[in-house]
Amino acid sequence: MTTTYVMASVLGLLYAFGTFLVLRRDLVRVVWGVTIMAQATNVYLVTMGGFDGSVPVFGGHGGHDAAAGVQDPLVQALVLTAIVIGFGTTAFALVLTYRVYEEHGTIDLQQLGEGSPDAAATEDGGDA
Amino acid sequence: MAAPDHVVVAPLLAALATAIATLLLRPLPRAQRAVSVLGGVAYAVGVAVLYRGVVADPDGYLVYALSNWEAPFGIVVVADPLSAFMLVIAAVVGLAALVFSVGYLDPADQTLAYHPLFHLMLVGVTGAFLTGDLFNLFVWFEVMLMASYVLVVFYSGPEHTRAALHYAVLNLIGSAVMLLAVGGIYAVTGTLNMADITARLASGAADPVPVLGLSAVLFSVFALKAGIVPFQFWVPAAYRAAPAPVTAVLAGVVKKVGIYAVIRLYFTVFAAATLPVSLPFVAGESFLAFFGPVMFAMAVGSIIFGGVAAVNQPDLDGLLAYSSIGQIGFIVLPLAVAATAPDGGELMVLGVAAALVYSLNHGLAKGLLFLGAGAARRATGTTQFDDLGGLSERDPVFAGSFFLGALALIGIPPLSGFFGKFLVFDVGVRAGSTTVLGVALVGAIFTIAYFSRAWNRAFWGEPVDYEREPLLVAVVAVLAVGLLALGVGFDPVFRAAEAAAEAAVNRSGYVDAVLEVEL
Repeated sequence: MTTTYVMASVLGLLYAFGTFLVLRRDLVRVVWGVTIMAQATNVYLVTMGGFDGSVPVFGGHGGHDAAAGVQDPLVQALVLTAIVIGFGTTAFALVLTYRVYEEHGTIDLQQLGEGSPDAAATEDGGDA
Repeated sequence: MAAPDHVVVAPLLAALATAIATLLLRPLPRAQRAVSVLGGVAYAVGVAVLYRGVVADPDGYLVYALSNWEAPFGIVVVADPLSAFMLVIAAVVGLAALVFSVGYLDPADQTLAYHPLFHLMLVGVTGAFLTGDLFNLFVWFEVMLMASYVLVVFYSGPEHTRAALHYAVLNLIGSAVMLLAVGGIYAVTGTLNMADITARLASGAADPVPVLGLSAVLFSVFALKAGIVPFQFWVPAAYRAAPAPVTAVLAGVVKKVGIYAVIRLYFTVFAAATLPVSLPFVAGESFLAFFGPVMFAMAVGSIIFGGVAAVNQPDLDGLLAYSSIGQIGFIVLPLAVAATAPDGGELMVLGVAAALVYSLNHGLAKGLLFLGAGAARRATGTTQFDDLGGLSERDPVFAGSFFLGALALIGIPPLSGFFGKFLVFDVGVRAGSTTVLGVALVGAIFTIAYFSRAWNRAFWGEPVDYEREPLLVAVVAVLAVGLLALGVGFDPVFRAAEAAAEAAVNRSGYVDAVLEVEL
């Protein structure tokens, strides 16, 4: 049972750290925050497979009804898919960050927000 | 596996093949555009064939096991009247937007990545409508979103990068949350197959309490995709930034994927479980009784917020973007009533059917209006109301089509929008809820207000310089005629929506079709 508590605390910390970074003003940190959240989710998925077994895929397929001593292989397949998707989205987010820097000359979210049409409209009392 | 079953994946393959072909044809821009439009037609034909197959099937379910791995071990693709109905919306709006974009975008802009991305977005949408596997749904969402991120940032100017940044970061967090919920549901139920989840929840083999919490987490992700209050804040900037045909698909089709996911997962899958604990504000034992009030609050918020904000917009794009937040509220409102109605009863079916009819009408009408805004931008160089005027004098055909689209959203007979609105009110009356009627009435008045303003500012008044774009106007006009035709020949549309709604609440039919076991 100790593993469960350790994993729960680690996951909690990872999500907290990810959330903290997402709320930062620096855009690169926001991207890192999103990445950490995605990775925390992957760790969570692996945890959902349980830690009862040591053997990978061998006999007794079907997740929770599997014989003792066998890890659930499905979650690992899911995580592989999620990692590939996460890799692509992180690459895109970083490229987008660079593009934002090229267009605006800043990656400070406060300064980015000040130039937006919504902010301008609110100052005129125009936007809801 | 018999050959006709392959028809289930036909639209998917058509869009995917076109995406690859247009990627390879980049050195030949003309051929690329031709193949892209032909691919759009092939997609529509694939959807039509699939629709016929679903209607012809005695049970109305076409199940296709990928790589011939039987459910629940492999991933199944399930076409039922509900998926088929949504696919028709995707095919019509997608094809119109595709033809429009050939005339709208600069040819050099189209060459690099536009057409492959557009078709990949369709692939994601189609997969999400068809899949019968929860994790697979996540994957299709990602396919759709990846393409849409790039399409939103397509012009990559200051506004576009900022909008795409909001859109991408929000949806990346949304994806992480969705994966979290999917993983949790797998851990609790031990399966990812939607039919299998339904069966296990119904038989009590899975503990419903964690599933309720996880499904609530999942609901927030679908609400984010559908852009309903309080998850609406990405909508206006993203819709302003994306090229007009992409916005038409985002508003007309991609948002509906969120709605479809809510109908499929909450009305078909999670409703199978009963609540073992009593919660405040929840009357009834079904999961739906829990989500009904939540949906209702979101719908009311969307209708009011979208309406109030749309009235005040300085430009046509912004007005339509906020309007689509309000209109999605009109789709969720009957769903909320349906969720609190007796399970599988007449009112539940009618509520879901009303939401579907409204989705169809909104997909076509809002697609038309966004394309119309694009045509106005191309013809006059702007969509700011201050710089527009007199378009009705410059181009009566365009103005008339835009007017029909606006009337369809307001809900004037004999356009299809009348029946959409009428069904929403009908659901309210049958539920005996004056709140629902009141909210719908307020929303309807707002709709009239902001479209009157758009019409006054852009189409009447002092005429501005206008350069006619025949192809763009033709696409808008065809959609307008389609709206009229749907309204005049509404009976088959309603029967299709009703069949789709019945399929959505028919849990035993779904489980039986996929797993071949009795629920």
